[in-house]
Amino acid sequence: MLDNNNNVTENTMTDNFDISADPEAEGDDGYVRSYLTFISNGLNYGVDNAHVVEIVTDYSLRPLPMVPEYIRGIINLRGEVIPIIDLRLRLGCYDNIASSCTIILQDEATTIGLIVDQVSQVQDIDLKKTVPIPVESKQELTNRMISLDDGTVILVLNFEALIA
Amino acid sequence: MDNSMDNLLDTYLFETNSLLEQLDELLINAEKDRDFTSDEVNQIFRIMHTIKGSSAMLEFDSLMTIAHHIEDLFFYIREHGMEGIDSSSKTDLFNLMFKSTDQLREEIQKVENNEPLSTNIDSIISEINSFLDKISSGQSGAPAAAAATGKAETATAAVPSGGAPEGLPKDKGACFVHIFFDEGCGMENLRAFMLVTSLRDVNPDFRFYPEDIETNSDSAESIIRNGFFIAYDSQEAAEIGTSIIKDTNNIRSYEIVDNPTASAPAAPEAPAAAASTAPAAASAAPTAANAASKPAATHSGSVKQNLISVNLSKLDSLMALVGEIVITESMVVSSPELKDVKLDTFLKNTRQLRKLTDELQDIATSLRMVPISGTFQKMNRIVRDMKQELHKDVRLTIIGEDTEVDKGVVDNISDPIMHIVRNSMDHGIEENVEDRIKAGKNPQGEITLAARHSGNEVIISVTDDGGGMDPATILAKAKANGLLYKPEEEYSQKEILSFIMLPGFSTNKEVTEYSGRGVGMDVVKRNVESIGGTVVISSELGVGTTMTLKIPLTMAITDGMEISVGGSIFTIPISNVIRSLKVQPEEVTYDSEGHELIRCMGDFYPLVRLHKLYGIDNSITEVTDGLIMLVETSEKSYCLLIDELLGEQQVVVKPLPDYLNHFNIKDSGISGCTILGDGNISIILDVLNLYHAAQSIL
Repeated sequence: MLDNNNNVTENTMTDNFDISADPEAEGDDGYVRSYLTFISNGLNYGVDNAHVVEIVTDYSLRPLPMVPEYIRGIINLRGEVIPIIDLRLRLGCYDNIASSCTIILQDEATTIGLIVDQVSQVQDIDLKKTVPIPVESKQELTNRMISLDDGTVILVLNFEALIA
Repeated sequence: MDNSMDNLLDTYLFETNSLLEQLDELLINAEKDRDFTSDEVNQIFRIMHTIKGSSAMLEFDSLMTIAHHIEDLFFYIREHGMEGIDSSSKTDLFNLMFKSTDQLREEIQKVENNEPLSTNIDSIISEINSFLDKISSGQSGAPAAAAATGKAETATAAVPSGGAPEGLPKDKGACFVHIFFDEGCGMENLRAFMLVTSLRDVNPDFRFYPEDIETNSDSAESIIRNGFFIAYDSQEAAEIGTSIIKDTNNIRSYEIVDNPTASAPAAPEAPAAAASTAPAAASAAPTAANAASKPAATHSGSVKQNLISVNLSKLDSLMALVGEIVITESMVVSSPELKDVKLDTFLKNTRQLRKLTDELQDIATSLRMVPISGTFQKMNRIVRDMKQELHKDVRLTIIGEDTEVDKGVVDNISDPIMHIVRNSMDHGIEENVEDRIKAGKNPQGEITLAARHSGNEVIISVTDDGGGMDPATILAKAKANGLLYKPEEEYSQKEILSFIMLPGFSTNKEVTEYSGRGVGMDVVKRNVESIGGTVVISSELGVGTTMTLKIPLTMAITDGMEISVGGSIFTIPISNVIRSLKVQPEEVTYDSEGHELIRCMGDFYPLVRLHKLYGIDNSITEVTDGLIMLVETSEKSYCLLIDELLGEQQVVVKPLPDYLNHFNIKDSGISGCTILGDGNISIILDVLNLYHAAQSIL
């Protein structure tokens, strides 16, 4: 069995584990939620930390035939079979860079792995400050965005849309 | 809700559901004879009484009230017999009973889903009451309701209150039978009441404590603590009573205890002593001198039935664990470190281990096997209801109902079978009897439900002798919906029929209560596929339709042949493998379209190149270099080109993640996956779908 749960990118290790231990750790007003931010294809994305199980980097991928290209295959994570999606390919970017940084995401019924370029950090995002993305076409996976104080722009990933 | 309450609720739901099922079956049978025998009346009465009592205990008022009124009705029928009821009333009675069991079932479902129960049940109550009035006014007897309540009153008012139910109650009887129920069996007061009811049939001359078992659910507590007492006036009567008690379920122990207040009224400390001692000690107390208690004691314990009910989730974890053991066993046996070592004892012991794990697996699998009859019996009811609704005369024939399948399978095929039977009733069987007579068929339609085992599969078929499906109509409809992807004339009959399993596809012009929305067959297909099965439709216009469900017997563990293609490992179920062979160049021929054919054992088989289909690089592409595996399915035999055979292995089938079902991964010939000894994943091939997938890309 693969020993993956320690392979968390160094700077996120403590944050991530503190918060996933208490997924309900949201602000008192209920609008501030903690998000795991990551980079894919040069853009910053954030995904609700409540969905994040762990980050794995070392696994053996079993490719699947006859599925869309962005499904890279399935992995065996401690006896559970999990499909792996490459976010770059999913968003239509084909100049693939070799990355194995995979965020395992989960809701009640579905668990998937999402290959991203690099994981950044866990940070609180005030949902009241997010705005809809002002371009109408094809915003299927990200529906809102936020500009942080330091100037970075984070696109909020819609996990439900990703697994739909 | 705390845990013990949950347990109680589980027990309640299980019991009530099985009672309702029993009731349904009984009603269906009785309706065929258009009469209730006195046995059946008694049984319905008892069922309703149990439902009433346990519902009252859990405060499900609507259930209790409905059951109570049906009980009243059947009390009346029991007292006055079925003879007094004329035949039109009998029909009404059956309809009323079906309606009320439906209502009960609806309420139970609400309980299961944790929804609030309906508060408005007046309509069914008044229906029952008016029916009761009707049949009772037709006879000279006293109003049944009065009789029923009168009986209840005598039951509760039999003896004035015996004071606190601590220990031995005060009673003038000569001796007590002291009864303890199985620990944790739940609803002790009702079990006690049922016991009382059956004892009363033999000899009504006794009292019981606590007295309020029927009305007061708290009495269960005191029965658990102190036991349940039945007071008889004589030793002989008590012994007759025990002969009934020993045949009753869920009784842990019972004994006959002399009543100290009756035999020695001057010794007030005796009851206190008897009360505080445990039942075993009590028999050793002064009363033990009595010989009667000895045979009684030897009876206790030997009367338990040999069935237990187990929570399904425990069986699931047992199965999962056995699966892990099987994997681990093969990991140990085939450890690479042992490859070139010759260890005689080790080999001998692993063989023994293999034998034991095989046995363990067989037993674990068999624990989850249940007969399919329950599911089939439900269809009786559906056919009956629809028969009346649609005014079609149809008979349901059931074959092989004692075929056993995995519990998970039974749960999942109930809906599909129901949809198919509904479809057959609604669209299959002809609208007009004249049409059937004209076609030379029996005026009475027939739907046959059959189940049988075949190898590793269970095959369930639903056949109707109705009008059958018209491929032309389906094709036209498919064309209108824009579903065709190749010229019309290229569609085979089978392909055309499979259109009806697409979501939203219905040739019905009107949506009826039962079908026509086009969701039914879609649900059938999805449910069956979710348990690894397939649906096959065959239909002949004017003759009838057969829907066949093929379902793997057990989904968990299977024997597989591991093969490799270009470094990827696949598993093929061993039941599909006929043989593997090397071919010579002269054994490969081509048909006019360039398809490769392999000659094997005098026959020609088409070749499927796995590497081509799945786009696997660096595999063997020369037919003569690689290995040919001849595989068969129920409909097709063909050859697969593979690189190499890795060996036979027992594998634990894991379903592919749900997410992948968005991409119709089953259609590409993959039925699941399994985790190999080294932690890697092997993909389990579905040989039949693999062939279809290969055909579609040619």
